[in-house]
Amino acid sequence: MGLYHSLIEPFVAYGFMRRALAASLALALGCGPIGVLLVLRRMSLMGDAMSHAILPGAAIAFLLAGLSLPAMAFGGLIAGLCVALLAGLVSRATQLKEDASLAGFYLTSLALGVLIVSARGSNVDLLHVLFGTILSVDGPALALVAAISSLTLLTLAVIWRPLIAECFDPGFLRAVGGGGSAYHIIFLALVVLNLVAGFQSLGTLMAVGMMMLPAAAARLWARDVWSMMLVAVAIAFGSGLIGLLASYNFNTASGPSIILTAGLAYLGSIALGGNGGLLPRYFPRPHYHTLPPEPAE
Amino acid sequence: MRFLAALFLLMGTPAEAAPLKVVASFSILGDIVHQIAGDHAEVTVLVGPNGDAHTFDPSPADAAKLAGAALVVSNGLGLDGWLDRLSASAGYAGPRVVASQGTTPRTMVEGENPKPITDPHAWQDARNGLLYALNITAALVKADPANAADYERHMQAYGMTLAMLDKTIREKIAAIPKAKRRVITSHDAFGYFGAAYGVTFLAPEGLSTDQEASAGGVARLIDQIRRENIRAIFIETMADPRLIQTIASETGVEMGGALYSDALSPPGGPAACYLCMFENNVPKLVAAMAKN
Amino acid sequence: MDGQTVQAAKPGAAIAIRDLTVSYNRVPAVHHLSGDFGAGSLTAIVGPNGAGKSTLLNAIAGALKPDGGSIAISGIARRDIAYLPQRANVDQSFPISVLDTISLGLWHETGAFGAISGTGQLRMLAALARVGLKGLGPRPIGSLSVGQFQRVLFARLLLQDAGLILLDEPFAGLDTPTTTDLMHLIGEWNGQGRTVAAVLHDLGQVKQMFPRTLLLSRGCTAWGATQLVLTPDNLAAAGYAPGPWTGAR
Repeated sequence: MGLYHSLIEPFVAYGFMRRALAASLALALGCGPIGVLLVLRRMSLMGDAMSHAILPGAAIAFLLAGLSLPAMAFGGLIAGLCVALLAGLVSRATQLKEDASLAGFYLTSLALGVLIVSARGSNVDLLHVLFGTILSVDGPALALVAAISSLTLLTLAVIWRPLIAECFDPGFLRAVGGGGSAYHIIFLALVVLNLVAGFQSLGTLMAVGMMMLPAAAARLWARDVWSMMLVAVAIAFGSGLIGLLASYNFNTASGPSIILTAGLAYLGSIALGGNGGLLPRYFPRPHYHTLPPEPAE
Repeated sequence: MRFLAALFLLMGTPAEAAPLKVVASFSILGDIVHQIAGDHAEVTVLVGPNGDAHTFDPSPADAAKLAGAALVVSNGLGLDGWLDRLSASAGYAGPRVVASQGTTPRTMVEGENPKPITDPHAWQDARNGLLYALNITAALVKADPANAADYERHMQAYGMTLAMLDKTIREKIAAIPKAKRRVITSHDAFGYFGAAYGVTFLAPEGLSTDQEASAGGVARLIDQIRRENIRAIFIETMADPRLIQTIASETGVEMGGALYSDALSPPGGPAACYLCMFENNVPKLVAAMAKN
Repeated sequence: MDGQTVQAAKPGAAIAIRDLTVSYNRVPAVHHLSGDFGAGSLTAIVGPNGAGKSTLLNAIAGALKPDGGSIAISGIARRDIAYLPQRANVDQSFPISVLDTISLGLWHETGAFGAISGTGQLRMLAALARVGLKGLGPRPIGSLSVGQFQRVLFARLLLQDAGLILLDEPFAGLDTPTTTDLMHLIGEWNGQGRTVAAVLHDLGQVKQMFPRTLLLSRGCTAWGATQLVLTPDNLAAAGYAPGPWTGAR
């Protein structure tokens, strides 16, 4: 009875808990795979950079439309896309690698945003207004996150082969005329889209956290990209579920609870992960005396 | 010759000399002083509209305001203890009046601290407002006897208005069945109002202004609203408006709107004067309680 | 190794290089080079480090734009070029299996979005067998040795079924058995009529297996039959120290 009361009943009795769980699932499905690709392309800090880069877009939207959340989210999306795309193009066309070009653009964008906000003389903490919390996800916000997740999964499925090729052997893709840059741009657009939707409905900590922590943890378990993504989605959704239950039963803040759970999963993966974690290194299993049989064709 | 003498007499009267410099600790007191004193006084308010007198931290500029004052008006009851320290540091030795003199104090529990403290929000009872006005009038008369007649006159008018207001509030609230007179609000300032006019004010469970909301907290608040079956809810200052909206839609209750309790609104706002504050709050409370 | 042939005959490309200049930061790596790779030829490109060999291959493959002169490729479609760059460009730590890696070789069949057909699957397995990696399909490439990974890349080349095959230092760091195996494969490709050009450092291998040679260096550029190009004088002018394999007495 106690178990039901703590674990199942919260979702039965409260609409906001059900929506929060659904939002966790949608977010996991969208951000998990994207996060895995970011980790593999060594762009893991992009999420945090993006949370700053969207400021001028939100600021300009605020100047034009006042404190309208859809307008500010849209402005933020445009700004984020510009920064991501410019950074991507510059890293392709010049000596600068991804990290330096992104740093350059997002910092410039942030400064521009601060300038616009302070020139207006307003004291409103725009970014604070823009970022929500998972407990306040309503119908439209949930629909938005779900739609973006679906779009993400669909797009990834379609451009899967060139995207993966572009990740690990871009030279080959260029040589066969695959057009690597276009897929990179599409990928960046997906990243920004998922992040901005995440910021707006769930807050910056949750959006970036759900994207990167499960992906980093999954790296230590899976041996190919496809299973990495599955593990990442599972960890992300699991963190959402456990974090929400913790927030319900122990009265802790919801966003941080979810992300801390993901963080624990990450630490656990470092310790125990089958693919490069610490446990196999310090407690290795006995070696094979004869070669294991090769798998059948 | 007599004409010139009359002229001199006129010029010599100190009546239109520089107005009396009065410093009030917060906006509600400032308004009452202004109602009584009219043009005779220049009122400076330390904690302005929408300000928080509980946590006010005076600056050297505020000390300067005290320096030239002829009268300092404080609330007392623990609201503006910082005023004593400020007066000491400003070297103010002039007349002071505690507006709540003569009121019957109540106790309250503030925040997480279980130990009861004196509830300073005496002004939320209109009869106490009358006492405030009387105390202030007496102090003004003492500090500026020349204009005593005007002060007394204004007090008469104001006192009648306050009495009328008190009566109106009672009537409006009495019109609501006793069982329905329950309100959930994050403002902890309505103790005197509740006692005077027969309304029960409950604090919202589970949410707090300084902490980020937890799922458990939101659930408890929803439980409370459902359990107590209260539809009069005023919590807009407590949390992100979207969270408030979530609670509203989950419980099917519409939020009651903005109440003013600890300070007036800026001029032009819905509660720019002491009377206006009641005129804003009471209809909202009544409308919300009627839905209970 | 399985002797099964994976591919049929294929017409090779002819490449005409005229007055080609390709530079990095205005310093010409390839400077006014002219010559021909005949259709179906097997050419070794040799020379000291930094002489522009990789640059030349990059330019032929279309990855670098020449500053001057021209590269005319005839006999095949522009896309029908298989290019094996130096190993450093591929991220071997990426979590992908051998089979998925070589499946990219079927790009010209599937494009970016097409599925791999049944014959495609069979060809992939046959290619793996041909390079001696039978059964290693599911292995992640990160677990392969240098020699094994190079075989994987050759399997991919096999699947590309190209008319022009460009190889940049394909045997760098490989053991002799692997080198011999892959050299046989190159011979097979040439036997099928494909044009092959490879940058190599082992002059002995070049003299043994490659009928034509392009010697690229600051001091001497020579292009033609191997025994005419790799003379002791040319090699000395190119900067090679005298030794057993340069043929100096």
